[in-house]
Amino acid sequence: MEQSERILYALLIVLISSLMLTAMILEGPLTVLKNTLHLQTQAARLISDFTLHGVGTAMFNAATVGLLAMVLIFHASVSLSGPAVSAILTMMGFSFFGNTLLNSIPLIGGVWLASKLARKTFGSYSLIALFSTALGPLVTYLMFSIGLPLPLSVPLGIIAGLAAGFILPAVAGSMLQLHQGYNLYNVGFSCGFIGLFASNLLIAAGKMEPLTIKWSEEFSLPLFLLIPLFSVMLIVTALFIEKPKQGFQGFLEVQKLSGRLPYDFFDTGYTAGTFLNIGLLGLVFWGYLVIIGAPINGPTIGALFTIIAFGGFGKTLKNTYPVALGVVLSTLLFGKSLVAPGPLLATLFATTLAPITGQFGFFAGLLAGFLHLVMVEATASWHGGLVLYNNGFAGGLTASLFVAILQWYKTNRPEEDFTQ
Amino acid sequence: MKRKELLGRLIGEVTNFLLDGNPLRLVVSLHQEEDGAHLTFFDDKKRSEEELNRINKALHPKYERPELAEYYGLMAGHDVTWDSRLELIGWQIKHADVDNSDSGLRIDLWLGSDAFNPEKFTIGKE
Repeated sequence: MEQSERILYALLIVLISSLMLTAMILEGPLTVLKNTLHLQTQAARLISDFTLHGVGTAMFNAATVGLLAMVLIFHASVSLSGPAVSAILTMMGFSFFGNTLLNSIPLIGGVWLASKLARKTFGSYSLIALFSTALGPLVTYLMFSIGLPLPLSVPLGIIAGLAAGFILPAVAGSMLQLHQGYNLYNVGFSCGFIGLFASNLLIAAGKMEPLTIKWSEEFSLPLFLLIPLFSVMLIVTALFIEKPKQGFQGFLEVQKLSGRLPYDFFDTGYTAGTFLNIGLLGLVFWGYLVIIGAPINGPTIGALFTIIAFGGFGKTLKNTYPVALGVVLSTLLFGKSLVAPGPLLATLFATTLAPITGQFGFFAGLLAGFLHLVMVEATASWHGGLVLYNNGFAGGLTASLFVAILQWYKTNRPEEDFTQ
Repeated sequence: MKRKELLGRLIGEVTNFLLDGNPLRLVVSLHQEEDGAHLTFFDDKKRSEEELNRINKALHPKYERPELAEYYGLMAGHDVTWDSRLELIGWQIKHADVDNSDSGLRIDLWLGSDAFNPEKFTIGKE
């Protein structure tokens, strides 16, 4: 096991333990366990802020899901590096507003079945398996919200989860070709595609309820401090493993990377630089929320976790700020509020399009972010909120449009034609 | 991945890389056996030591990355419009040799099942 991998395991264990411990202190062990069990029975469609059930409960839920993801990565013999960390932390982030153990396991099981059918190791499909949990609400919505008796609805939810997970590797591979790695949340794009069919089947059966937003505005100090503390821990780790000057040089080198999938920043050798990048991403985007007066609740914590998650696998400070700025401009131009749930989450999650900035420059990123908001506000209703990575779905559409146009332009450039 | 698709992707990505250098001559040679295959690519552009090191590094990942090879490896050779990325195939092959030949760059790739031993291949290294 490499040094960076040992450090990442240590950091994750500290994070998961701290979340569990804080949860116990905040609400007491019995209440936390009782509330976490209750959380499993929530449909959890977008947007369901789990901190409304208790901040400690949401933290404990995130810790249990994170533990599951980490154990799976360990047992699948996959190295804990940029890609695996991105999946684990993304799952943990979404466990503040949608993922639970109950709705994650059937989907992971479906991907495992697909790996068996394709005669691959589970490790080969491990990233798809972890990200497949984006479809978690499909499982719990079928189990608890369509009005069937539990002996029927629970198996239905499990079967739907297994089926969705089973087809996901095929869909994810095809979706990757559409945007050529310029949308970091590719499985989100793929799940959105599957979600369209699932949602319309439910509409046809008359079982789809309208979307509602459950969004906490309450201030919670432990939640407020979670991201800055974790970010500072990452920065201190960077300064501990390499000299500050060396670490900073590594950080500058990381900023030069395009971030197009699959770019594992830990493979570049700039370990401290990558940790600095991750930590600073967390601090900067958290600072943005504080400055505009946005609530630090389940969904925003989830979004910040996701930004941190991809800090070693595609996102840098340099390639993320133009897309975020594009969403801000779009929000202001269309007269929306920066702190409203849709635009706020879009600003953070639009960083899925960071590789567009990384490859094509500032203005391309700005334009991608601008268009992203318009798309993301519509797409949640398309899949009925059954897909947690709604921004990954919308981002995939935006990235595919960009790639198609740029590809057409590049293949028709006259200067490289044969002489007539 | 089936043999045909895998070979197509690998050939596509390496030729994309070589065509970026706008060579006047490019040769691709394939030899298959039951449990493996050997691909050789020649062009007429000699590379500097630094470039050879960069290619070697891309084709020799430090560790096995099954999670990247199977999933993101699908992008290899798919589209020649964008910059080539040899890392995508580095995860999918058994072994690679990169060197300047008399005329230009030569890249040898060996791939196959877990039982495949490139050392025993009938067309081996010279």
